[in-house]
Amino acid sequence: MEGPSSRLSEARDGAVQPAGGRDASGEVESDSSRDVKTHFRVCRFIMETGVKLGMRSVPVATACVLYHRFFERVNISSYEPYLVAMSCVYLAGKVEEQHIRTRDIINVSHRYFNSGSAPLECDKEFWDLRDSVVQCELLILRQLNFHVSFEHPHKYLLHYLLSVKSLVNRHAWSRTPVAETSWALLRDCYHGAMCIRHAPQHIAIATLYLALNSYGVELPVGEKEWWQVLCEDVTRADIDAVISDLLQLYDMEAKCI
Amino acid sequence: MDRDLLRQCVTYHGESLFNKLKCEQTENPDFQALVSDLCKASYESTLVEQFIARKADILFCPSWKTTAVKEEEHDEEEAAEPYAVMPPLELFMEVSYDERRAMLYRDLERGDIVVGRINNIREYGFFLTLLSTAGGLKRDIEDLDLSALCHIREIPSTGSHDDPLSYYQIGDFIRAGVKDIDRYQEKITVSLHQASVSRSLEHIKLGVIAREELPVHYSRSLSAASDSTETYEPILRRCHGYHNPSVVDYLLERVGISDTHPPSLMRGLQSKLFQEDDFASAIRKKQSTSWALKCVRAGVDHFKHGRHVEAMNEYNKALEIDTNNVEALVARGALYANKGSIMKAISDFELALESSPDHRNAKKYLCQTLVERGKQLEEQEKLVTAEGLYRRALSLDDTNPEAQDALHKITDTIQVMASLHSVYFRLEISTTIVKQAF
Repeated sequence: MEGPSSRLSEARDGAVQPAGGRDASGEVESDSSRDVKTHFRVCRFIMETGVKLGMRSVPVATACVLYHRFFERVNISSYEPYLVAMSCVYLAGKVEEQHIRTRDIINVSHRYFNSGSAPLECDKEFWDLRDSVVQCELLILRQLNFHVSFEHPHKYLLHYLLSVKSLVNRHAWSRTPVAETSWALLRDCYHGAMCIRHAPQHIAIATLYLALNSYGVELPVGEKEWWQVLCEDVTRADIDAVISDLLQLYDMEAKCI
Repeated sequence: MDRDLLRQCVTYHGESLFNKLKCEQTENPDFQALVSDLCKASYESTLVEQFIARKADILFCPSWKTTAVKEEEHDEEEAAEPYAVMPPLELFMEVSYDERRAMLYRDLERGDIVVGRINNIREYGFFLTLLSTAGGLKRDIEDLDLSALCHIREIPSTGSHDDPLSYYQIGDFIRAGVKDIDRYQEKITVSLHQASVSRSLEHIKLGVIAREELPVHYSRSLSAASDSTETYEPILRRCHGYHNPSVVDYLLERVGISDTHPPSLMRGLQSKLFQEDDFASAIRKKQSTSWALKCVRAGVDHFKHGRHVEAMNEYNKALEIDTNNVEALVARGALYANKGSIMKAISDFELALESSPDHRNAKKYLCQTLVERGKQLEEQEKLVTAEGLYRRALSLDDTNPEAQDALHKITDTIQVMASLHSVYFRLEISTTIVKQAF
């Protein structure tokens, strides 16, 4: 399927990899590790596009989840991933009640692949792109059996933040950026498939845990730890697994982008 | 870099983090300045330390902290709460008595609000058994055996000469402001004067309250304490506020995190890397102008070939795509003037000049159209208004000969009429005087 990245650009390196290529370090990669990198880059595209469209965190998260779930069972070479990503953004806007116009999605994407270019004219190319996005949306819906509504960690994280905040001295809390850091960590999770492999409560707890850890915040200890109390079935191993997946994503950024 | 925050982190994690920080942040001059200040302690996992070390320049940057201290709103009814107000966490964690007492004395401050029940009344004041905090802090303190004194002079007088204490009874629920805390002797004194409460909590009324007015987190913690199957998550899901569709947006605003310029720890997603021109609204604006101009060009072409209806359609289309597009307004105004719809033409030119006051054609055409309008007004004998229009026309384009000419003529006419009027007026007066004399 010829996609927007080839029509929108000739020159963006790494947008579409040739088969059996070599990565930045010159080693021959396996298909699956190359796919993981492509997915990372496409999710980065979704997140950047989300910011430029003024999308809130939850719709962006939905877009990434739609993307990951779509490619769970579908081969990446069958569909143009950037087109799928654009349609995921469009569909997520509808699902999360923050409607985004296709015109804006196309404009932002076009400029992403053609940095500094003039906006598209209202011509055949533009309308063809729009048709592609809308048709791909239907494809995604069918691939996901129309299950497009997801529970996200964001609500949990915000309530957990408030609960944990009241355990700590207010002055210590106000000078420690735990809220920003945990929110940033949560958003960054969506670069990889880890966001669909763990329960939302577990992701919320793990990002909060890592944020508190990063600043050396000490919380009081009772019969139970704070994280055991927030979600009954989470274990230390679950938290470590989420953190480990997330840290791998940061490593991947260095390799991919 | 924030020195205190960095020291807190290194103390917590220990020497290995410190070494990694030194390694990863060698090029950061801010960090080098602080190296001698930092000390070492216990141990933590390597991966996490690696992460902290790599991202330290973001994590400890003073501008990373965007949240501001926002005080809680109070007295939300349960049915109207915008988010789930949960019982204090230390209740579920079963933190020890001693630790909770120590935490309270560490964190309670003057100006906070507490809720208690009167357990004893003396002639110099009454004593409260503290049940809960209500503003500023959210703590579970009922079983901590805390007692607070409210001295009689801290009770506002009711105006009558009765003893103010007679108004209160043992068992009453009281909401009071913390006046003083003696941490060493573990004594708390409270006051019912509104002034004792901190600025952000001023709107909360002190004094006797009903059972229904007890803080929501307190009443929820009572039901949670009595039933051990009530753990955090079921309570959270049951809260009405949890299901508010805009709970995420509300809490983000409360906490102070921006969702439009969101924080990230990925190097490529830092806010400062985003350029205004790449945002959807900026591109759309440029694109609309471009699309509108295409229509205007088509319209001008129609106009030159005498196809006025098609030209008007193109101009209207252009204005639908890009409201207040200057070229479209000027072109449409010219077409209106050409057809004789003077007022519509003037309105379009004025609108164009609002956003582009120096647009040459807009000024030129408006000048011409104003002169025409002035001539219409002269015929209706509205001379002064017409003169105003000619002046305005000249201010737009002082080289226009018609405008100069029209203005001179009308100024003369008005002067003549004015002197005629004054003669007539004097005649009138003298006639009246003469009449009166008789």
